[in-house]
Amino acid sequence: MTRFFNRRKLIIAGAAVVTLLLCGAAGVLVFRSISRRGPFQTNLNKLERREDWQAFGGTWQFVNGTMRNNSDERGAKLMNGSVYWANYMVQADVLLLGQYGDAGLIIRASDEEEGVDAYHGYMAGLRDLDNTLILGRADYGWREYVAKSIAPRVYDQQWYHLKVLAYDCILAVSATASSGQTTTAAVEDPGCVPSGRYGLKSYNTGAQWRNIAVSPASHQDLIAMIGDARPSLAVPVQFPTGTEPGTYDKYFEPIHRDLLQHRTNVDTQPIDSLRLLSPDTPTAVTVHGVVTLTSPVLFVQDPTGGLAIPDSRAHVPLEIGDEIEAKGNAEPHDFSSVLRDSDVRLLWSHTPVPPVSVTASQAATGSFDAEFVEIQGRLVDKQTGPGSALILTLDDGTQSFLAIAGSARSAASLRRLKDQSRLRLRGICTVDPAYTRNLTSFAILLPSFSDVEVTEGPPWWSAGHIIAFIIGFLILALAGVTAYFFIERWRLQAVLEERERLAHEMHDTLAQSFAGLGFQLEAICDEAGEQSSILPQLNVARNMVRNSHEEARRSIAALRPEHLDSTGLLQALEECAHRMVLGRAAITVKVFSSGSARAVPLRISDTLLRIGQEAIANAVRHAHPSCLVLSLIYQRTALELIVKDDGCGFLVSSESAGFGIRGMGKRADSISARLTIRSAPGKGTAVHVHVSLPPSFLRALWQRVPLRLPSGRRSREHTIA
Amino acid sequence: MELHCMKIFSSHWISRVRSCPLLVAPALLLAPVLTIAGCERAHPVIAVIPRTCGTALWEPEHAGAASVARSSGLDIYWNAPMRDDDIETQISLIGKAPARGYAGIIVSPIETLPMRTPIRRTIAHGTPVVVVGTELGIPPGAKLSYVLNDEQAGGRMAAERIGSILHGEGSIAILGIDPRLLSNTTRERSFEAALAHDFPRIRVAVRRFGLSSVPQEQQAAEELLSKAENIDAIVALSLASTRGAYYALVEFGKENAIKLVGFDQDLLPPVRTGGIDSVVVQNTYEMGRLAMGLMDRELHGAAGGSELLVAPVLMTRENIDSPEIRQILNLSWWPAQ
Repeated sequence: MTRFFNRRKLIIAGAAVVTLLLCGAAGVLVFRSISRRGPFQTNLNKLERREDWQAFGGTWQFVNGTMRNNSDERGAKLMNGSVYWANYMVQADVLLLGQYGDAGLIIRASDEEEGVDAYHGYMAGLRDLDNTLILGRADYGWREYVAKSIAPRVYDQQWYHLKVLAYDCILAVSATASSGQTTTAAVEDPGCVPSGRYGLKSYNTGAQWRNIAVSPASHQDLIAMIGDARPSLAVPVQFPTGTEPGTYDKYFEPIHRDLLQHRTNVDTQPIDSLRLLSPDTPTAVTVHGVVTLTSPVLFVQDPTGGLAIPDSRAHVPLEIGDEIEAKGNAEPHDFSSVLRDSDVRLLWSHTPVPPVSVTASQAATGSFDAEFVEIQGRLVDKQTGPGSALILTLDDGTQSFLAIAGSARSAASLRRLKDQSRLRLRGICTVDPAYTRNLTSFAILLPSFSDVEVTEGPPWWSAGHIIAFIIGFLILALAGVTAYFFIERWRLQAVLEERERLAHEMHDTLAQSFAGLGFQLEAICDEAGEQSSILPQLNVARNMVRNSHEEARRSIAALRPEHLDSTGLLQALEECAHRMVLGRAAITVKVFSSGSARAVPLRISDTLLRIGQEAIANAVRHAHPSCLVLSLIYQRTALELIVKDDGCGFLVSSESAGFGIRGMGKRADSISARLTIRSAPGKGTAVHVHVSLPPSFLRALWQRVPLRLPSGRRSREHTIA
Repeated sequence: MELHCMKIFSSHWISRVRSCPLLVAPALLLAPVLTIAGCERAHPVIAVIPRTCGTALWEPEHAGAASVARSSGLDIYWNAPMRDDDIETQISLIGKAPARGYAGIIVSPIETLPMRTPIRRTIAHGTPVVVVGTELGIPPGAKLSYVLNDEQAGGRMAAERIGSILHGEGSIAILGIDPRLLSNTTRERSFEAALAHDFPRIRVAVRRFGLSSVPQEQQAAEELLSKAENIDAIVALSLASTRGAYYALVEFGKENAIKLVGFDQDLLPPVRTGGIDSVVVQNTYEMGRLAMGLMDRELHGAAGGSELLVAPVLMTRENIDSPEIRQILNLSWWPAQ
């Protein structure tokens, strides 16, 4: 352990940690210095740098140098700057889009969240409900400090220049109308919010901002704005606007403006009735409907049907779900109508139309022309159409149809769809030949890429997948078989090594002891002389020692592993036989091999070797043969070993089977081989072992080393005297 | 937010650091972790989530809740959707409660049915909930209490007012029926039952479902007024339908001919002029106060399961400046200066 925690390593590790910490601290300091820089040192007040602004609600758009929030949510915010900014001034031109809300600038804000007054900081702005310039503080709750009337009043759709200044705990605001009239207000807020970001905010109305500027504020700036007099302390208004007696008259004008803004034409026509108007004479109509598509063409829908409104004049950007009132000239078509020269007015938002679920066959009838539908089909093809639009060709079995994604973003996302995927689409169903190109019955105009869902991927059983599966399976099978045989080979190798170790042990101990005993007995015999009365017993003892020594040598020879690779089995048996008959009366050893010699699994060859050794040993010990024949016959799917002698033979019966024969039987069973012993008194003995070899492709696996042995019969004959 | 931090470095550690400068590095690394672990909020925070903020109806709830929270040592997180029909944002705000560690939630559901699962999950998480304004169908229990506007009483008040101004005879329209909110349904049924019982000669000629915004309600009222139906009075069951009906009456010049009895405080000036005859206002100030009181008691170990009813008040031009109404409209959630 001490090697791992020596002093040098500790120093290096410590130095690395300290370096990291110093780097981190330097990073933090740099970040803070950047963050705390005054607004004059940054370009964060650029409205067009949308990435610098953080939106909390609202639908913000930067168009022609103007930041616009089209949403009438309560408290939409767009924030910028640093939470460390303290004394500074924000100014901008502000325009209210609606009649019944307020809009302005936020200063010294922090901890912003989506929500009405969900921030800590100050807000100053213009409110058209009571024609006032307002200033207050938000702490996740609103405290209104100032509501000062603006003369003559706050007009919507008119620009005002708004300036908000924060210096120490004094907040000042001024609003200058286009007429040049300026209204100023200021308060001192003890325990003020000391620093924070700036931003744009609107409440209950859309609004626009332009020419935004942020600059550091000094005491001189404050005096220039509100004069020398110290402002009054901030006291929040305790009741809602319009509660105070005697002040309510001023609220009716904005109320009237608001109600007129939302006044609707009750004499509207159902959209499906437009189809029955004269096709020759344009008829002026008013319809109400919900926007279902904005691009490439505006589509609206009411409970009776859908309508296309090309080239509409809308006062505000429309979104899907907006309820609109459209006035224009109706142009009946076969299945739906088109509204030309139309003037579109937004009534309210957030009323999306749910799609009608239809089949391709139903859509192909034209009954759902210009309506928002949901439909399913299998993707057949993808093509790029005019204006980089993506055209999907789908099929549901009975009908083919097109789906068109107009926007570049949608097209890019949908290009990744895989052919043969099953898709669920939501979009406008149209039979207009401009989209169908008269190739299909209908087409679906997709509002966005999120209106396409993959309900089912392409079928798995493709040709590529099947081939890959087969290849993978074969590789796995091959790997499994290879692993099995390698493991088996390693196991046998371990067994052989253990036998060799035992053989060495026996050679070094048992055999040496017998040799020593033999020498000692020889010495006693020499000492005793030939006339000694104990000589016969000594001779018996010497013979016993000699025999035991030979047995030990044979056992060692049997245990010693042979080179069994390839066709070494027969050679090993032959060597074994030679060792065993060494010193015996003349025994001829004959060796035969027939068939196509090939590699044999080690497990089989080792077992055959042991059975052969036992058979040879039995012949040499008990049969007193003059000839010993070893035969190895390679058949197509099997291998046969025969050990045959011309000795005395014996009567084969279950009782005659000694330990050696039973051992041979067990070894044969372990490799599912058939062991047959044929013998009779005076007629010699033949031991047959017949074993099936593994299938050919596995044999090929084992023939990793090409065999160069010639096939066919071969034989050798040795006579050892 | 005040933070109380543990003293994490002792003189023993300082002496160890002096003897082995290499200890500085791990100590510096561990310091922020130990600091964060050792700091805790001074006060439990209760999330108060109305249907929306910045309106005369719901801001008083903030004031009422804050008045109790200040004296009970609780902090308030006050936030709500920016539209009063944005149920998804309201559910999302409730879903953030466990991660933010709020000690309890007081919520005024925008709709009844979608709020059941979020509330049950919050309760299952062990956070006590007080539901304000409408029942959810979940019975009050160990972690769930209700503070409700007495809609039965409100319905009866409106019926009585209609009977009084029509002298017991005429035909009326009911606008703003909204089955998405159980309290609205109770309000409507109570009104109709009381009207049928007490003023059988007043006929309900038209019933209209409520929609989510003032322009939609205005359109519904315009359609009603543009038809030949002879209506003597309109009962508008929600804030949006009251304003929408008032706008349509002004638009058609009938604000004096057709009486309007609304629900939920919003437009106050027309009440003074009689353009809106009367409004059954919810005492959200008291509801906020009671809800925070229940929460405080639950946090101190008292059993939940309460259901409190707060009586509404009929606001007319005669009583709009009364102390009772002014208390209901009180916005002062901030501490006295």
